[in-house]
Amino acid sequence: MTEADKEPDREASREEAPPLLRTWRRLYFVVLAWLALLILLFYLFSRRFTP
Amino acid sequence: MRLADWLVLCGSLGFVVLYGLWRGRGSDTVHKYLLAGKTMPWYAMALSIMATQASAVTFISTTGQAYVDGMRFVQFYFGLPLAMVILSATAVPIFHRANVYTAYEYLERRFDARTRALVSVIFLIQRGLALGITLYAPAVVLTVILGWPERVTILIMGAVAVLYTTFGGAKTVAWTDFLQMMVMTAGLLAALIAAVLLLPSGVSFGDVFTLAGAAGRLNAVTLPTDWKDRYNLWSGLIGGMFLALAYFGCDQSQVQRYLSGKSIAQSRLSLLFNGMAKVPMQFFILFIGAVVFVFYIFEKPPLLFQNTELARIQQPALAAEYLPLEQRYDAAFTGRKAAAEQLLQARHTDDSRMWQEGLARYRDAQNAMDTARSQGVGLVARAGGEKGLVDTNYIFLTFVTRHLPAGLVGLVLAVIFGATMAAISAESSSLATVSMVDLYKRHFRRVAPDRHYLNVSRLATVFWGCYAVVTAELARKLGSLVEAVNVLGSFFYGGMLGVFVLAFFFPRARARGAFYGVLAGEAVIFAAYFFTNIAYLWYNVVGCLVVVATGVLISRLERSSAPAV
Repeated sequence: MTEADKEPDREASREEAPPLLRTWRRLYFVVLAWLALLILLFYLFSRRFTP
Repeated sequence: MRLADWLVLCGSLGFVVLYGLWRGRGSDTVHKYLLAGKTMPWYAMALSIMATQASAVTFISTTGQAYVDGMRFVQFYFGLPLAMVILSATAVPIFHRANVYTAYEYLERRFDARTRALVSVIFLIQRGLALGITLYAPAVVLTVILGWPERVTILIMGAVAVLYTTFGGAKTVAWTDFLQMMVMTAGLLAALIAAVLLLPSGVSFGDVFTLAGAAGRLNAVTLPTDWKDRYNLWSGLIGGMFLALAYFGCDQSQVQRYLSGKSIAQSRLSLLFNGMAKVPMQFFILFIGAVVFVFYIFEKPPLLFQNTELARIQQPALAAEYLPLEQRYDAAFTGRKAAAEQLLQARHTDDSRMWQEGLARYRDAQNAMDTARSQGVGLVARAGGEKGLVDTNYIFLTFVTRHLPAGLVGLVLAVIFGATMAAISAESSSLATVSMVDLYKRHFRRVAPDRHYLNVSRLATVFWGCYAVVTAELARKLGSLVEAVNVLGSFFYGGMLGVFVLAFFFPRARARGAFYGVLAGEAVIFAAYFFTNIAYLWYNVVGCLVVVATGVLISRLERSSAPAV
C-alpha cells in the first residue's frame, strides 16, 4: 500500500457526467419514475388477476 | 442426475472459474488484490453486486415462497431503488474521494479509531455468522433432494470459491460473479419456459394467470394490515429502503464491489442499474414459483416437499394417523383440479355463474390442501421430526429434479452452486479486507511492505474460507437455530447504518456521540426483538433512528459542556 498504489484513485474520484441524460439528477429521477411505474403495474396486475 | 446434467454442471462451473482466474491474473499488489486496481467497468460491478446479494437460497426459497404465499415478497425489494439513488448521491462520491479500502476506514477519518474498530467488529460478527449459513443452507437442500452428502457439497462449493478468491482477489470475484449471473439468468429463464411447456395441453400461458391469481398467488402489491405483517407496500418501501441502505452502504461485501469502479460515474451506474433491474428480476423469479404452483394443480404434489420428513410420517407405526390424512389430501387435490378445469371452461365461455361456483370450489379445495399440509407438519413434530417444519426451500428443486429434462437439471444446479460460490467469494473477500485493513494494519502492524499486506490478505481469505466451511459443518448441529442465527444477523444493520448517516449528514456529530450512539442503537434493536412483535424489517429503521438521535444528543451535550475558547 504505497503512494504509487493510490495514484489511480485520483482518477477514480473525478466527477463525471452520466453517459445519458447529461445530469445525475435526471438519471435519479428516471430510476425513481421506473420504480413508481413498476409499483403501479404490479398493483394493476394484482387487481386484474386476484378475483 | 444424468450424464448431460453432470456435463452442464461441471462445464459451466469450470468455465466460470477459469475465466475469473484469467481475468484476475496479475493481482500482485494490495490495491489490485482488494480493489481490482479500481479498473472495473459498471456492467461487471452491477452484475457482481447482484450476484453477491443473490445467494442460492434466494432462488430456491423465493420460488417456494411464491408457491406457498404468492408474489407479495417482491415488495421487500421496493425500497432498493430508493436506496440506490441515495447511495449514488452520497456514499459513492464520499468513499471514492476518501480513497479508502473499506467503509469503516472512513469512520476513523470522520470520527475516531474506536468507532471504526467497533463497527468493523460488528461487521465481522454479523457477516461471519451469515457466511457459514450461506454455504450450509443450499447444501442441506441438495442433500435432501439428491441424496448428496452435505459434507461433500459444503467442501466442494467452499473450496472452489476460496481457491479462486485467494488467487485472483477482487477482480476474479467480480468477473466470476459477472458470468455466474449470466448462468443464473439463463437457468431461470430455461426453468420458466420448461415449466410452461410441461403444463397439460389444454392449459395455455394465459390460463396460468387465471389459476395462480384465483389462488391468491399473484398478489404482488398488498396494503398493510398490521405491524407484524412482514411484506406489504409500506414495509417494503420504508423498511426495505433502510435495509438496502444498510446492506449496500455499510456492508463491506457490497461496498467493496463498487469501490473497485474506474470512477465515481462507473460505481454510480452499477448501483443505478441494480436499482432498475432488481425489482423486475425478483418479480420474474417469484413468477416462476407461481407457474410451478399451477403445474402442481394438474400433477399431484407431495404432501410435504421435504422427503426425509415425509418418509418419517409414512412409517407403518403412524399409519393410523397418516393414511386418513393422505386420503383427505388426495381428495382435496382431485377437487382442486376439477375446480381449476371448471374455472378455465368458465373463462373460455365467459360464463360468470360457472366462474363463481368454480372459484368457491377451487378455494375450498385449496384450503383443504393447506390444512392437510399443516396437519402433516404437526404429525412430523409428533413423530420426533422438526417442529414447525417449513418446506418452502424444497419446492422448486423437487419440481426441477422430478420433472425437468436432462441437461436442464444440471443448469439449474449450476445456478445453485454458482449463486453460493458468488456469495461466499464476495463475503470471504470482504471479511479478509476488513480483517487486514481495519484490524491487522491499523492495530497490529502499521508499517510493512506492500507484499507483506498482500500475503496477509491472502491468508485472511483462506482463514475466512475455512471458517465458512467449519461453521457450515457446525450449522448442521444447530438445526432449527439456523433461522435464529439469520435473524440475529439482521440485528446489526440498523446500528451500522445509523453511524454512517451521522457521518454523512450531521457535520456537528462527534466521535463520542457516534460510538455511544451505535451501542444505544444495538441495545434498542435487541430490546425490540425480545419485548415487541414488530417485523424484523423495522429493526433497521428503529436502530438507525436511535443511533442518530443518541449521537446528535451526546454531541450537543459535549459541545455545550466544553469550555469556551
